[in-house]
Order: sequence, then C-alpha cells, then structure tokens
Amino acid sequence: MKKLLASLLLLPLAFNYAKADEKPLEKPKTQTVKFELVPSGHFIVSVKLNGNGPYNLIFDTGAPTTLITPRIAKDAKVVGEAKDKPLIPLFGMMGQVKIKEFTVGDVNAKDVSAMIMDHPTVKAFSQEYEKKHGSIDGIVGFPFFAQFKMTVDYSTKEMTFTPNGYKATDVMQDLMKTMMSSMVSKPEPRVAAPAGLWGLELAKSKDDEADGVDVKTVFAGTAAAAAGLKAGDRVLTIDGRWTDTVSDAYTATGYVKPGQTVSVVVKRDGKDVKLTVSPKNGL
Amino acid sequence: MKYLLLFGLLGLVFSPAKADEKKDPPKKATTYEVPYRLTDTKHIHVRVKINGKGPFNFIIDTGAPALIMTETLAKKVGGKTEDGWTTFDKLEIEGGLSIDKPRGVAIDMFQLKGMNSMGLAGVELHGVLGYNVLARYKIEYDFTETKLKWTPVDFKAPDPKRIVDKNGGQGGLEMIGTLTQVLSMIGGLKPNFTVHPRGFLGAEIESKDKELVIKNVLSGSPAEKAGLKVGDRIEEAKGKSLNSSEDLLEAVKKLPEGTSLKLTVKRGEETKDITVELGKGL
Repeated sequence: MKKLLASLLLLPLAFNYAKADEKPLEKPKTQTVKFELVPSGHFIVSVKLNGNGPYNLIFDTGAPTTLITPRIAKDAKVVGEAKDKPLIPLFGMMGQVKIKEFTVGDVNAKDVSAMIMDHPTVKAFSQEYEKKHGSIDGIVGFPFFAQFKMTVDYSTKEMTFTPNGYKATDVMQDLMKTMMSSMVSKPEPRVAAPAGLWGLELAKSKDDEADGVDVKTVFAGTAAAAAGLKAGDRVLTIDGRWTDTVSDAYTATGYVKPGQTVSVVVKRDGKDVKLTVSPKNGL
Repeated sequence: MKYLLLFGLLGLVFSPAKADEKKDPPKKATTYEVPYRLTDTKHIHVRVKINGKGPFNFIIDTGAPALIMTETLAKKVGGKTEDGWTTFDKLEIEGGLSIDKPRGVAIDMFQLKGMNSMGLAGVELHGVLGYNVLARYKIEYDFTETKLKWTPVDFKAPDPKRIVDKNGGQGGLEMIGTLTQVLSMIGGLKPNFTVHPRGFLGAEIESKDKELVIKNVLSGSPAEKAGLKVGDRIEEAKGKSLNSSEDLLEAVKKLPEGTSLKLTVKRGEETKDITVELGKGL
C-alpha cells in the first residue's frame, strides 16, 4: 500500500513534466496505413519502436494499454527505462515504458506508454501466425490511436490517421486515483447535467419499459415551448441519442450547448414527429 | 494491482468453429453518427438494443472476432444458439443504425466480469462489438468529437477462424475475473453505476460583462419559489464567486434533484443570500 501511495504522490510531477515537454502541433496531415487481416478476424500492423523493427503487432481498439513483448523491448533497447516493475514478474511483466517514437506504418506518435509483458493470448496468436507473418509481439492500443482522427476500413484493409491534438490521460493512473478515493471516502454520485435550459419536466414510471420518456410539463416561454413540445409527448431521441430513461435524456442534453440546434424525435398520437430545439443559457 | 490492465485487452479470445455468414451489408451508403463515450477504463463504449431490448453497453473492439455478450444477456433477449453461434433478429446501434439477423457469441468474458464487479469502467458493460459487425463499416474515430462516423462498405467478412489455446483456456488469465470479484468483496468496493439527473433551477441566464443576470424566471419553477427575480445578478454559487455561466454550471453540475443550492445575488444595491431547493426539470 505504501508503494501505491508513493506512486500516487508522484503523479503531479509526472503531469507537470509532460506539460513542459509539450510541443506545438505540426499541421495535421492524413497518412494511410495498410493492415493485414488474418483469418481470426484480427488485423496486424507493422510497428517500429524508436526506429527499431519493424515488428508485427495486433491493432486493438478494445485495448486501453499498448503491449510489447520482452523480446522486442530488448531488441529496441527500451527495457532499461521501464518503471513500476512488478515484484513478481507474472507473464514476464517488466514494467511500463514511454516509447519516444512509436511508429505504425509511417505514422509516428510521440511518448506512447506501453507495458512490457508476455501476454498469453498474444503468444497464442504468434504461434498461429508465425509461419505466414512472422512472430507477433504485442498490441497497439489507446495510447497510440487516441492521438489521431482515425478511420478503419476492412474492405480496403486500410487505416488513415490525422493528428487531432487529443491528449490521452494514462488509464492506470486514472484507475488508481478512482480506486484510492473510493477506498477513503464514499464515491461521489454520478450526475448527468444538461448544458442548457430546455424548459421541460420528464417522467417515467418504474414499470414502464417501452422506448422513450414522457414529457410531464413544458414551461411557458422556453426553448421547449418554442419548439412545439407538448405535455404527453414521448421523447424517443435527442440529437440521435436514445432517451429511454430520464437520466439518459439528461446525458443527451449534456452534449447540446446553449444556442445549438438539434433534432428531437417524439412519439405523438402514435406517430414519430421530428422537432428542432435550441436550448437557452440557464439551468 | 498490475493485473488490472489485463481487463483492457478485451476479446482477444477465440470464436466458435463453424459458421457461414452470408448477410449482405446494408445497401445505402449513408453515414451514421454513432454517439460513444470513453469509459473510465478508456474503452470506446456505444449503446445497442438487441431484439428491441436494451439499451446495453458494448465496447468497440477490433481485437474481438465477433459480437460477444454474456450468456445471461443472450438468453434474456431471446437469442437462438446453434453450432456455437447465437442469432438475433435485430441489432440496433445508437445513432440510427440497424443490422438484421446478426450473429454473435454468448460467453462470459472474464474481463467484463472483473471490470463490472469493481465498477472500474464507470458503467456496467454487457458485451463487445467485434470483427463480424465492425467489418461491415468504415468507421471514423475522433476523441475530440462526440460521435463516431459509420459508413457501410461492401465487404463480406469471412468467418473468423478459431484459435485454440493448447491448454484450453486463456493461459491462466481466466481466474482474474473471479479473483477481482473476491477482492472487491473483501475491500468493500461496490460498483456505482446509477446516474442521477441534475437538479433544476428554472432560470434563464445572460452573461453580460462578467455579470450573470437572470433574464427569465420560469413560472412554477424552483427559482420562482425561492424568490429569484428577473434582473438579479448572481455573484456566488455555493460560496464560490462566478465570472461566467460556465462557472455556474460547473458549481452545480454534481447537485442532483432535491439538493439545495445557496446563491448570493445582487438586486439593485442589495446583496442577498437565496437558497433554492433544486427540483425536477431541465
């Protein structure tokens, strides 16, 4: 526990360091990366670590971390920089590294954090595809692709990447913070907050499992009244988002800034009616 | 604690042996805007309805071979299982997208079980959308935007081939789901998935030269009951001074219905503290 706390205390330092190191963005340019679709439905990309490689990695939008095997970590000489080495090296875990130049195809991302480990599933994949593709040495995850506007197209077996300036926070650090705070105090309630004033009261009874929520009241002189919403309407979607609970509707309105115009689909007399609402500033 | 990260690697599992996917991709080349959210674990979360039931929370996972969900869910929505595949009548993805007769796999993923037992993702996760769904679309991801863009492409996804781990399992990772369930019980961690609507004031506000002026007080609203008037300038909320309407929304954003909010307002030359009982509405 002491070690955990210590690493928590180090967090602000790490963040400051990252900020100081920030460089102005280059002009966004779109680059294409070809990928290899394999029979299990996964796809493989060619990766270089600080100019070393290329290595084969699986590209996984479901992976919040990037993984590299100890083999390529050694080959690319990044093992020495590893932090948070585990006491018991299960699955060959050797800690976390920040790869200065993480290159997928020709697309370069800076300071991509990666875990060094022998993931059993990656190993099984490697054995399966080694003959045809060479060994598979890890997984490209969120810390890489979050930095880009990305498209994935299986019909052309191509991805495109355009830098978008998105700064991804580290998932492990975030999780530790959440867990530590939930251990010392009661977790804060999750509240869905609208971004503007609509002038509506919504309701749904507990045993009502049908789509949508009921409009209970429309306040006079408001955005909802101006849009023609009426008490008794059943709100199905707000700006394309399902509103099947009152909280859902609040979440959906959280994305709609005052003055922005969005469509709202309601069921009225058995028919779907599309209205446009532009919420006002207020709460 | 390091094993937590293993939850991230969703769905790099197997897929069932036999299958013959012959569904055409949707013909229209419309682009669908699919709302998504990043979970606390940095998974790309979209909502789906299966056979009209839901919404359920799924993760977009190119590392998974197919539409995968828990057995309980597959049963609940009336999926029909044959040769390892479960077929559904309809899969709807939030944003207006619909797939007829999709096939999926019903299996209890240890990663989802583990994350849900601790509430790690901040939302209860029911399954993943993998290759056999994703391959029908060109998908654009951009985390500076609030929606993904899905455009149907003409691609018939061949059946995913099963990769068999010699030991039959996932190399010892399966125990992690159960392990975290036990650990979270011991540690008293409870998942916290309930979302409350924020409380309602019922006042339209105008931001003028760093002053927040009440422009309209809705009739019958908590603001009216508490005695707020048009022209009042809101200076503080919960004891914090305000420079913009964003400051006010920020101060109030965690206050659910039924909580009270202390506002300091200036009416003419007079300064007043007004406490409002936040109500229902938006």
